[in-house]
Amino acid sequence: MKRIYAIEAWCIDCKRCEVACKTFHSASRDTVKALTLEFPEPRNRVRVEGDAHRSIAVNCRHCADPKCVEGCISGAMTKDPVTGVVTSDPRKCVGCRTCVALCPFGCVRVEEAAGKEIAYKCDLCGDDLGQPGDSSCVKACPNRALVFVESEECS
Amino acid sequence: MSERFANYLIIGNSAAGVAAAERIRELDADGSVLVVSREPHAAYGRPLISYLVEGKTSLDRLDLKEKGFYESRGIETLLGAQFEVVSLDAEAHEAFLSCGEKVRYGKCLLATGSVPFVPPIEGISGRDNVFTFLSLDDALAAQAAVDEARVCAHAAGRACRVLVIGGGLIGLKAAEAFCHHADDVVVLELAERILPAVLDNEAAALLARMLDHHGISCRPGVSISELRGEGPCATTALLTTGEELDCDVVVAAVGVRPNSALAVQAGAEQGRGLVCGPDLQTSLPDVYAAGDVVQVTDVLDGSQRPLALWPNAVRQGKIAGSFMAGARDAEPFEGGFAVNAVDFFDVSLLTSGIINPSEDAGCEVRTDIEGNAYAKFVTKDGLLVGYILLSRPENAGIYTALIERRVPLVALDAGLFDRAPLNLDFSAEARWERLHALCPFGRDGKEEA
Repeated sequence: MKRIYAIEAWCIDCKRCEVACKTFHSASRDTVKALTLEFPEPRNRVRVEGDAHRSIAVNCRHCADPKCVEGCISGAMTKDPVTGVVTSDPRKCVGCRTCVALCPFGCVRVEEAAGKEIAYKCDLCGDDLGQPGDSSCVKACPNRALVFVESEECS
Repeated sequence: MSERFANYLIIGNSAAGVAAAERIRELDADGSVLVVSREPHAAYGRPLISYLVEGKTSLDRLDLKEKGFYESRGIETLLGAQFEVVSLDAEAHEAFLSCGEKVRYGKCLLATGSVPFVPPIEGISGRDNVFTFLSLDDALAAQAAVDEARVCAHAAGRACRVLVIGGGLIGLKAAEAFCHHADDVVVLELAERILPAVLDNEAAALLARMLDHHGISCRPGVSISELRGEGPCATTALLTTGEELDCDVVVAAVGVRPNSALAVQAGAEQGRGLVCGPDLQTSLPDVYAAGDVVQVTDVLDGSQRPLALWPNAVRQGKIAGSFMAGARDAEPFEGGFAVNAVDFFDVSLLTSGIINPSEDAGCEVRTDIEGNAYAKFVTKDGLLVGYILLSRPENAGIYTALIERRVPLVALDAGLFDRAPLNLDFSAEARWERLHALCPFGRDGKEEA
């Protein structure tokens, strides 16, 4: 499958990846509206750790054997057997945070969405659960500190 | 007497059983797989029953797997009370169902889970308004009873009270669920604090205070000595303090024990759960076990007990399934440790590993309180061995990974426990290793050989 990898040395902490992620996952897909007006507030799934001195953009690794999927009590978190993309079904998620307690990278957050708290994570900008899309964060990165490349799937 | 045959017989249709069936099918396209369970439902998220009662999910969203899961994989099912396995003959490779049918099998998995332990309280047995809280049917029956009791109580001009015996995870989730249906919920916990296994006194007191705001009063150090009431319902509880407490419905949630009677009758070795090898085979030939029925070695303190947690059940199901299907590269089961995630109203609680080390255990403890958030970290020999995170969930899995992978803390940023942990807390090299699994190029930008 294709995965997103971060090149730390080239990250300049500009957070454009976060903005692009938030915009893509908004209702309007308009940056200004997404960041100011929309409710529920759109959530970015990629996160830049650090500061101007040293930073890295971190998002879901779409693990070969994901602990978040193994631990999910509701069956919301699944890894598509064909594409390998790990996504959480907002309809089924109850926000228990088992995935948060198990993700070794801190790549799942449980945040409020219209009245209930549910898990948010990178979905590779796919249109449907388990389907990869055209990763917005990678396209938005001005310094190619994020790449979207074919990587091996080991089972 | 009718008879059938399955290459793989899976007894139990929850986390472990379904994970095993799925794994077996991935590895063996042709062998027949039969899942039997006394529960009449497709596999559902068992811990969701409290969310269902609370109204946070619904019956149509409870299924663990997608529609058509069993059919598309050619997994046969026999679900319902008449299909409960009542005896097992491991030597002959035969199982007998309560309807009288015989199933011959090649390999068998015991994924029978836990059964609730009902405390030996005078006047508790045979009551129509005493429930356990472990299955979907338990939850639906208890909810119907609470709703009916509330109507009756209000008609009589009084409040409706649910009494929960046991302040563990199941008891408190039941309390949270039923406080949406009753006027008043009281939780009695024999130990000196609620959630005795996963909290310390400080965090338990904080949580109890938050629960109190929602109409749940927790009474640690108190239990019931007798349930009284004329007729089929218990109407008054006599507490160990001598007080009397009226109640409309009672939920017994003092704990669970491995549902291993079938295996033990068949001659399987049992300690505090079924004794299994690293391939999760029991002492009986071709009989495997996974989930709550298994005795697990805690990798943190060496103790042996069942690890009755969902992620453990799924993991064991996958491993047992791999060995049953004869996978050559199957990863052996070497033990585990507890990771609990639970939420009450808007409070999140994540805990893992050793929470209350004994004084001679050589552990160091640090705690942090900020408003309603509480964090506790237990370290030993420079390694993290446990934590409590009350209302401080961010990136908790990084801590869990430190415990699991025994990462020396000396190699990490010292600020690691003062705030949410970060990937940046690792050395540049370790960080690359962590975040670049399966990456086609190396840290130097060159393609990996």
